[in-house]
Amino acid sequence: MKTRGLCSVFLLLTVCLIFIPPVQAAQPIVLGCPLATAFLYGWDAERGFTLAVEEINAAGGVSVGSEKRPFKMEVIDTRDLEPGVPVSEALLAVEKLILDKKADFILGGPVRSEAALAAMPLLSKYKKVSILTTGALTPKYNDMVAEQYDKFKYCFRIHGEAKNLVGEIFANFNELKQKYGFNNLFIMAQDVSHARGAAELVKKLATDKGWNVTGLEIYPTGATDFSMGLLKAKDSKTQIINIWMDMPESSILLKQWFDMKVPALPFGSTLAAAEQPGFWKATDGKGEYTLCNVVNAGNAPSNATPWTMKFYDAYAKRWGVEPEGLGSSSSYMAVYVLKDAIERAGSLDSDKVVAALEKTDIMGVYGRLRFDPKGHQVIPSTDPKEGAVGSILQWQAGKRVVVYPKSIATGEIKLPPWMQK
Amino acid sequence: MSTEGRQQRRERIDRGIKVRTAGIYALMSWREMAYLLAPRLLLIVGLLVLPLVMPGMYWKRVISIVCIYALLALSFDFLAHFVGLVSLGGAFFVGVGGYLSAVLNTKLGLPPLICVPSAALTGGVICTLLLLPCLPLRGVYFAIVTLMYPLFLARVIEALDILGGTDGIMGIDSFPNPRLEQYFVIAAVLVFLFGLRRLVNTDLGLVLRAVKDNDQAVKASAMNITRYKALAVFIASSIGCLAGACLVHIYMWAGISTFALDFSVLPIAATVIGGSGTLVGPVIGCLILVPVSELLRDFGTLRIVFYSLILLAFIVFRSEGLMIYGQRKYHQMERWKVI
Amino acid sequence: MDILIYGTINSVALALYALGFALVYGISRLPNFAHGALYVLSGFITWSALNTLKLNYLLSIALAMAATALIGSVIYRLFLIRVRGMEISEIIASYAIGLAILEGLRWGGFKGMTYTLPPFIEGSLIIAGISVDYQRLAVIVIGSALVAALWLFTHHTRIGLALRGMAQDERAALMLGIDSDVMAVVAMGIGSMLAAFAAILLLPLGNIVVESGYNVLILAIAVCIVGGLGSWIGAVLAAFLIGFAQILTVVYLGSHFQMVVALLAIILTLILKPSGLFGQQKELEERV
Repeated sequence: MKTRGLCSVFLLLTVCLIFIPPVQAAQPIVLGCPLATAFLYGWDAERGFTLAVEEINAAGGVSVGSEKRPFKMEVIDTRDLEPGVPVSEALLAVEKLILDKKADFILGGPVRSEAALAAMPLLSKYKKVSILTTGALTPKYNDMVAEQYDKFKYCFRIHGEAKNLVGEIFANFNELKQKYGFNNLFIMAQDVSHARGAAELVKKLATDKGWNVTGLEIYPTGATDFSMGLLKAKDSKTQIINIWMDMPESSILLKQWFDMKVPALPFGSTLAAAEQPGFWKATDGKGEYTLCNVVNAGNAPSNATPWTMKFYDAYAKRWGVEPEGLGSSSSYMAVYVLKDAIERAGSLDSDKVVAALEKTDIMGVYGRLRFDPKGHQVIPSTDPKEGAVGSILQWQAGKRVVVYPKSIATGEIKLPPWMQK
Repeated sequence: MSTEGRQQRRERIDRGIKVRTAGIYALMSWREMAYLLAPRLLLIVGLLVLPLVMPGMYWKRVISIVCIYALLALSFDFLAHFVGLVSLGGAFFVGVGGYLSAVLNTKLGLPPLICVPSAALTGGVICTLLLLPCLPLRGVYFAIVTLMYPLFLARVIEALDILGGTDGIMGIDSFPNPRLEQYFVIAAVLVFLFGLRRLVNTDLGLVLRAVKDNDQAVKASAMNITRYKALAVFIASSIGCLAGACLVHIYMWAGISTFALDFSVLPIAATVIGGSGTLVGPVIGCLILVPVSELLRDFGTLRIVFYSLILLAFIVFRSEGLMIYGQRKYHQMERWKVI
Repeated sequence: MDILIYGTINSVALALYALGFALVYGISRLPNFAHGALYVLSGFITWSALNTLKLNYLLSIALAMAATALIGSVIYRLFLIRVRGMEISEIIASYAIGLAILEGLRWGGFKGMTYTLPPFIEGSLIIAGISVDYQRLAVIVIGSALVAALWLFTHHTRIGLALRGMAQDERAALMLGIDSDVMAVVAMGIGSMLAAFAAILLLPLGNIVVESGYNVLILAIAVCIVGGLGSWIGAVLAAFLIGFAQILTVVYLGSHFQMVVALLAIILTLILKPSGLFGQQKELEERV
């Protein structure tokens, strides 16, 4: 029977595949990248990595001791941003990279905070240096490194975390308060750990600083209706809506905000829908005036350092679209930072590279990059000469305009016409 | 069908050796005993030797995952084909067992070797109690309730932010010794596989199978059906919770995603492919599906597409499964018989 | 007042999700777990027709509906008809197809949040002090029109009456010369078209992502179970029940219990009145 033949061929193929040994070249330095490639916070990192690896390899590679070796990327899709997928999938992907693909370093993910936290013991077990570059915003990551330094010293993070974002947002809020006299704040967050934690923190800080918090709504992932929240904001004369959502349904929220003409400024953080260049077209311009925090400069056009626009244009040329998500510039820099550390350490040995990484001090795409020696988190600052600079952008007339920090801003925050008296 | 003027038909009968091994006659000679023992020994020895044979640590880990899914598939097959209750909620058992073991380990500080069995038994009790209201219902409703429970519990944990909320519970101890870790799950699979096979041939098993076939008849014999169904659910959910507890200790972490739908779907797929009704089939199904799924990882998202197409093909075209087909070939032969 | 308006909108949206599923189950007793996949697929077909083939919006909509109906019928005729009658196999087979479609779309590059459909009419209206946008009003108006049209179709046209006959008693329908296989294929086609309809009405409110396929499926199942599998009036009423329950929860309890409400509704229904509000399968209530 046909099906019988098909089944046996299939089984034969499986058996063959099991016994073909994986082909490995001894020369390249293997970078394992566990990423959720079907999602923005996965493919932005993948593209950043590919760009950096291509540039470095074209320039000759990395000097390890006396020989020059190229980088090789191995990307595995962890699917960890999908709701129905267990974190054990992501962990299995990390293990596959380490044990099967013989990755020397792990870059990028896992992307979801809980998966990243769960991967820490694995990384310490196999003694592999890892640099997180996208997704995972929870402050718990660097707290755990600081708490159990000897166990988790192999874990680094090169992009800003939730607490930095809250600080940056508040600087902006204060400015808006001074300029326009805003005082009413409404917070809408997605029901995931970093968003909820950040929302609670924002509420606490806001009330301390004298803001009137008109509401704090937590939406479960997959909720499609925000009407009640928006109406509540409108009725309570809210002037700023702080949004912490990376789920796709946030575009429903933003479109409805525009249609209802709610007189409040949508100030988002990790608002994935609004970070992409395609956002304008996707919302037919209704996304104008949306602010979002893209965590690191370089993801939106600015002149933080001479390298920023070089990276920006190189990315746009290579991929045909401008840098998209919060992981683009940080992933690009992670490869360069790793190259720098390997060259200073003179070897691939994990402990030596960890020591070298802790002494990192280079001018990157988004400022001066140094790691905090205790928590292995990149040191933030509002001045690119001092530390890693974040970026808050606002959509104005179809373009993403960086409005914060002032040291690199190319524009000012504008209010929608129905808010101007 | 006729050739040369003779009539022929195709006949399928038991092999000679199968007939000779019925009952006590199996002890007649070494050949008969080998015929009976060979498949079973192959399975046992194969499973025990597999971790030693597999190249690299990664594949050893895959074997542990295979065993966990095998336990889930066993519980599904037992419930579906020997008691008549289709449970689409493998994730429910894994989640409950996993969280219980995590809490026992982190809050009470008990070592994993005590946590896992206690979590299995306690989890079994909790799951049975939660499913008790739906046991008297007929039809597809038990399936839907078991499907909804893990989603519901996941949302509740998320909304109330208990048990670690969306962050999960970290810092769970792993097994004291990697060999133990590896062989504990394999031993669990073998023990429960053969245990369940023995169970369905006892009186209790007979009653359970009767409940599946015709519950009115059982009721008419003055037996409380709900009690027997509850007992079956307890057994199956204990096995599922054991799987969840082991998973949590292997990865040293428990979170909302222990309720993931993947844990419900893969055991069913394994049962369909491996052969439902024989308890061995699901184990074989897992042995095939999980490594193939890992091998196809290089294809990215396409892997899921392949996997669902394979599942579709099996269920529509060859829904009996591999094991039943294999058993038929082993025990019976086909030949042309002249009429 | 705002609860009333937005509650109605939410309820009509839920009813739209559930209609296709309820129809297919009511007629051929087939739980179509590929419903969510067909929803998302029709959204992407409309988008492709609009942006890649650069067709007129109305034409894209018509194309998507026809294509989805065709795909639904083909799926049924090729695969699901072979497992007809075996409930669990039907669930697994249709779920596998749905999964293949959704992941296939994701592999085919439809990932990210930039796929959207333009709303029919821009702008908004103020009703009793509450501002509602035209698209949402269109959802209510067109949704109600659809339910009415469906009622007319099943009560006054030959095919509709044949479908109803099959739903009531298949054997009797067969004796009257109604070919149950053909009718089942037609039912699946219409069910898929209803999924496409829901997609076209509701997707302009947000964007098209593959993940919403799973959510739509769960909501459709929730509504159908609470309303009673096989009863269309029940599905609509249950949609209103769950829709208002969700909105009331958001206003009075807290928005993060939204999804819990839907799942809780299923569990409560199954424990208290398993055949649902208007369920016709009273034998499901029988407790052994």
